[in-house]
Amino acid sequence: MAKLHYLIGMAALALAGCQGQDGGDAGGAARDQIRAVGSSTVYPFTTAVAEQFPRKFPSFKAPIVESTGTGAGLKQFCAGVGAQFPDIANASRRIKKSELDDCVKNGVSELVEIQIGIDGIALGESKAGAEMALTEEDIYKALAANPYGKPNTAKTWKDVNPALPAIAIKVFGPPPTSGTRDAFAELILEKGCDANAEMKALKTTDKDRHQAVCTKIREDGAYVESGENDNLIVQKLVANPDALGVFGYSFLEENLDKVRGVKLQGVAPTYDTIASYEYPGARPLFIYVKSAHLKAIPGLKEFVAEYAGAWDPDSGYLKRRGLIAAPADVRAKNLDIATKLTPMDPATVN
Amino acid sequence: MNSATATAELRRPTDWKGSAMQNRIRRRYAAERRFKLLGLLSILVSAAFLAFLLVTMIGNGARGFTQTEIRLPVDFPRSSLMLDPAALAGFGADAALAGADIEGTTAAAADAAFGAGGARLLSDGAWLSVRDAIKRDPAILRGKAEIWVPAATAIDLAAKGNAAPAAEAAYGKLQKADVVRTGFNWTFLTRADSTDPTLVGIWGALKGSLVTMFVTLVLAFPVGVFAALYLEEYAPRNRWTDLIEVSINNLAAVPSIIFGLLGLAVFLNFMHLPRSAPLVGGLTLALMTMPVIVIAGRNAIKAVPPSIRDAALGIGASRVQVVFHHVLPLALPGILTGTIIGMARALGETAPLLMIGMRAFLASPPGGIMDPATVLPVQIFLWSDEVSRGFVEKTSAAIIVLLVFLLAMNGVAIYLRNRFERRW
Repeated sequence: MAKLHYLIGMAALALAGCQGQDGGDAGGAARDQIRAVGSSTVYPFTTAVAEQFPRKFPSFKAPIVESTGTGAGLKQFCAGVGAQFPDIANASRRIKKSELDDCVKNGVSELVEIQIGIDGIALGESKAGAEMALTEEDIYKALAANPYGKPNTAKTWKDVNPALPAIAIKVFGPPPTSGTRDAFAELILEKGCDANAEMKALKTTDKDRHQAVCTKIREDGAYVESGENDNLIVQKLVANPDALGVFGYSFLEENLDKVRGVKLQGVAPTYDTIASYEYPGARPLFIYVKSAHLKAIPGLKEFVAEYAGAWDPDSGYLKRRGLIAAPADVRAKNLDIATKLTPMDPATVN
Repeated sequence: MNSATATAELRRPTDWKGSAMQNRIRRRYAAERRFKLLGLLSILVSAAFLAFLLVTMIGNGARGFTQTEIRLPVDFPRSSLMLDPAALAGFGADAALAGADIEGTTAAAADAAFGAGGARLLSDGAWLSVRDAIKRDPAILRGKAEIWVPAATAIDLAAKGNAAPAAEAAYGKLQKADVVRTGFNWTFLTRADSTDPTLVGIWGALKGSLVTMFVTLVLAFPVGVFAALYLEEYAPRNRWTDLIEVSINNLAAVPSIIFGLLGLAVFLNFMHLPRSAPLVGGLTLALMTMPVIVIAGRNAIKAVPPSIRDAALGIGASRVQVVFHHVLPLALPGILTGTIIGMARALGETAPLLMIGMRAFLASPPGGIMDPATVLPVQIFLWSDEVSRGFVEKTSAAIIVLLVFLLAMNGVAIYLRNRFERRW
């Protein structure tokens, strides 16, 4: 019986204990750790810098990095100024006008926009695959729900382009919630779509219809949504030599013994072709920093400076993590922004 | 006459040896055997699934607990490292170490020892081992030292027989020079998350899970037990108690993601508790666990024979005395079983914790319930999506840690149950 009393007593004590702490530093109090949220594509780079940061500056704690996806991250980031809101948003695309308006509405009026590098969306196939070489048009015709407004009946790649082998169309790729999917639609499908003059004209006359025709992906099994996990797509490709996969370039690089890149417009996805934007699936990566937090959060300025040092392709360590460095002039410009912490011009966003 | 024959027929003794009866008996035995076989089959199927899970996990994960290391000779006096051993003795040692270019020195030492490109053989975090060695014993700065540092992921995978030919060849060379060893990976059990698979540890997530579970237990157990006691022993039977009962049963079946949204709305947005904190995670999971404890607790309390209550009341015990001296101790084994089932579910929960931000990258383990933390299942989820191939075995190793944690929890439950169990 004494045991039971002891148990209850212990529980009550512990409860009292946490209430005591509750009152301590809940919510609004100052934070001594940087907080970053956003894109899962930028996540490995920001975490790499976050890990290095306290090693170089032992007086600061390691930043907290959360991978929420670009959209969700920017929403949180723009929710306000204060300790309970993140300081940095990772984005695998530029901030949208609507998001910036949301930011301004919540008092986040000044943002520092820094491009950290480039990411490539690569098309890959198993090493045992048929060494495909595609054009943006081929991919659009094979994967769009309604290519050029007509229902998609293509079963094999040969149906799309007689020069291609008669292999059934099967592409593993990210789901619609993913930023990689958005970029895939924008960088590859839309370009393939605009190769048709009629579609290009549609863009000016009926933007919504153009968007639907050009970026909606078929749902009859030719495009298989494989979750946000790129490792899974690589595994599936090894098991299905006839299938293609859409994933981040860093996964292609890491698994070069199992998969190879598919040539697009005659260009294979490599570090150099993506860095020069020659490969169609290249997109810039950004971090956004709240100007209002720069003074309030200890270490934020130093963190941004550390980031700027890390993206250099020769002396930085982010290249080893799979980041593709931006062209030298872009790097110089962003290094300048990162040192001076110049706020971005909202007028340039659309 | 007719009825007489009928009675005679009925009264005739059963002819056990007759073919009709033998047939029936055979059919009965066959049905019995079929049923037994079916039961056995179901057990075998579940056992096979478990065995498959364990074999693949342990097969993949066991390698995650080992780590390949390379013996790196560093000639400190001849290196470019500007560090005075005396400066490292007292206060400000950390600052002095942070200012020194240990990373460059390590890379240079590797190139000197293993030829050009030698630095690529070492983990990106190899210099941390060098730094720790200097910190432990600044005197090594005065001469040559040999320090064991973690090998790069490719070399590590080659040592475990699973890598590209180039790495295989590099590993063979190292082996010939006898500067490489593969041993138990203590780093994995003592450190927190990292972006480099050679430096990751599970301790951060494990501690996060422990702290979160502690908060959950401390909140859900007393509330659940008292609610069950009140509903069983005190509450009048009326429409209100029925309503409460139905609500609690419903609550136990609500998908966990909804608790996550609730936690986000109430604890973070309304109460402004810190994001990613085990306190918030524990509160959210407690909401989820509490109904399970209430239901299990009520059943356990119901199973205590009324004669025990009557006897205690009969000799003049008060209601509180009856409850705490007799009913609760007898019901405790059942309550504990329910609690452990609820806690096990909470331990494996990911979805609600994603909503409240417990999916962050954290390079250090949490210090308390207000510090940002992550938990084991979320860590497994995060690692499964990592680019580097070294994370595959670490993910499996993390799953093994989670299973061992679960096993330990169940072990405690069985121990407590056996201790408190009483038969009547």
